[in-house]
Amino acid sequence: MSGIDFWLTQLLNAMQLSMLLFLLSIGLTIIFGLMHFVNLAHGALYMLGAYVGVSTAGAFDNYWLALLGAPLAVMLVGIVLYALIIRRMRRAGPMNQVLVTFGLIFVLVDLVRLVWGDIALGMEGPASLEGTLEVLGVRYPAYRLFVIGVGLGVLAVLALVLARTELGAMIRAGVENDAMAACLGIDVERLFFVVFCVGCALAGLAGAIAAPVFSATPSMATDILIPTLIVVVIGGLGSLAGAFAGSLIVGFIQTFGAVVLPGLASILVYVLLALVLVARPEGLLPARR
Amino acid sequence: MFEQTVPKTLCVAAVASGLALYAIFGGYFAREIAIEIALLAMLAVSLDVIAGYGGMVSLCHGAIYGVGAYGFGAMTALGGHPASLSALVAVALAAAFGLMVGALTANTAGIFFIMATLAFGQMAYTLVFESRALGGDDGLAGIERFDASSVGIDLGDSLQFTLLVIAAMVLAYALCAQLLRASFGRTLVGIGANEERMRALGLTTWRHKALAFSFSAAVAGAAGVLAAQHTQYISPDYLVWTVSGEALVVVILGGLGTLAGPLLGAVVLVGLKHLVGGWTDHWHLFVGLFLIGAVMAGGRGLYGQLEHVLAGRRARREEGR
Repeated sequence: MSGIDFWLTQLLNAMQLSMLLFLLSIGLTIIFGLMHFVNLAHGALYMLGAYVGVSTAGAFDNYWLALLGAPLAVMLVGIVLYALIIRRMRRAGPMNQVLVTFGLIFVLVDLVRLVWGDIALGMEGPASLEGTLEVLGVRYPAYRLFVIGVGLGVLAVLALVLARTELGAMIRAGVENDAMAACLGIDVERLFFVVFCVGCALAGLAGAIAAPVFSATPSMATDILIPTLIVVVIGGLGSLAGAFAGSLIVGFIQTFGAVVLPGLASILVYVLLALVLVARPEGLLPARR
Repeated sequence: MFEQTVPKTLCVAAVASGLALYAIFGGYFAREIAIEIALLAMLAVSLDVIAGYGGMVSLCHGAIYGVGAYGFGAMTALGGHPASLSALVAVALAAAFGLMVGALTANTAGIFFIMATLAFGQMAYTLVFESRALGGDDGLAGIERFDASSVGIDLGDSLQFTLLVIAAMVLAYALCAQLLRASFGRTLVGIGANEERMRALGLTTWRHKALAFSFSAAVAGAAGVLAAQHTQYISPDYLVWTVSGEALVVVILGGLGTLAGPLLGAVVLVGLKHLVGGWTDHWHLFVGLFLIGAVMAGGRGLYGQLEHVLAGRRARREEGR
């Protein structure tokens, strides 16, 4: 592989990782921003999405059903969790929320191990996305381009909803100042529930999309959590632009760092996090100023 | 404000003597459990100093524990240095790491603080995991124990080593209690209650918080040193963030900001783990459910509840007079 081709492939790899991070962090960051609620189990929902995707694809022999079923199933789980736990923990303070959702990781991971076992489960991508496509003179797996496309598509839809619809305006108002939004007659609690459901669905979608690339394992739950949290901290609370920028930064640093500085790659992201915390503790593009 | 009350002293004495008796009359397995409890209690007490009194809920204490263990392991197994010197270096290393994390995160609060400490802990984990020199994910073997033969103690013996660890737990508690009673600790409690006010009073709060974090890290690192000596083999598993979570669980279970409570919390959590682990491989499921239940019940923790009952009884008695 020649020089330019190599870097272009890395660029696409970085994009693919960034988009997965984006799908996860956007739900997390808006839930944070809107309600100051921290959900460490977000990564566990991603894992659940991957397993549901694997099973659905296996049962119906249809990838697209898996792509539809995983977000729905994870959203249902999210609704149950909301009714049983999250709703009551809303005003409990960050430490209790961290602990409860930490316990939730244990429960979800062990339930998945009980149902699906400990071995990694692979999943076939759709037949129509097999093989490679040529992008700017580089052969690149079509499925991975699809992952990038889904990320960009979700970004576009969310950006439109947030900027152009009434629901988006209410969410932005809630993130900016939830007490004031409530005074103006917005049902912030219901808004939070909607956002929470969408966040869960996106986590499930990310899991189903990632399964053909990485296969489903119980360790997904915690492996993805830390990079996602870093994206949220770097990007700033509650903002779509922040989550997108943070995902790109973390995705590119992880991918290119591994090529350019193999020994140091893994800590580069943490160095960046430290710099952001010292220079701009509120993140690069926070929604609330 | 912290006070070393009689119930606190009794609680520490009860846990320490209970563990010692269990170790003396139980077999090898009982000693393993006693050590596990004592080390977890040490870690949780160190965490309670900053979380319960300084308002800094750290999620990187597992990593600090691992830094202590790896510092000690690298010094003895790789460097061939004597155990006593290695222990000092390892504790200093943990304190330095704590100082760095404390200083970098001092201006963040709430959930940002929790996430930032989580990320720094994970950084330490990644560094160790990928370091060939430290054995990577194979871990490090051949770690020595302290040599106390000059005073007639053989730490190769499982009972004597267990008693040493229990003594270290009591010492760690005493050190933390002493710090909280000193003016340094009073100031820390002031920051925990209202940081803005302390800053207005002219205190450089970030420096104080970083120093407190560093002290707590030194105690956690010391627990790590003993853990490395206990198993004489260490792996990156020591630094995984779930260890930090477990320490926080112990603190909450025992009672946040009670200092003595985490000792009880450690007894309960380790006991539960072995009880459930005896009949199913999926004990995490039960620990998770237990944790969710315990936090959602919104209690004061075991010791906090005890203190509450005692305070109520005292108030009633004084009313009756």
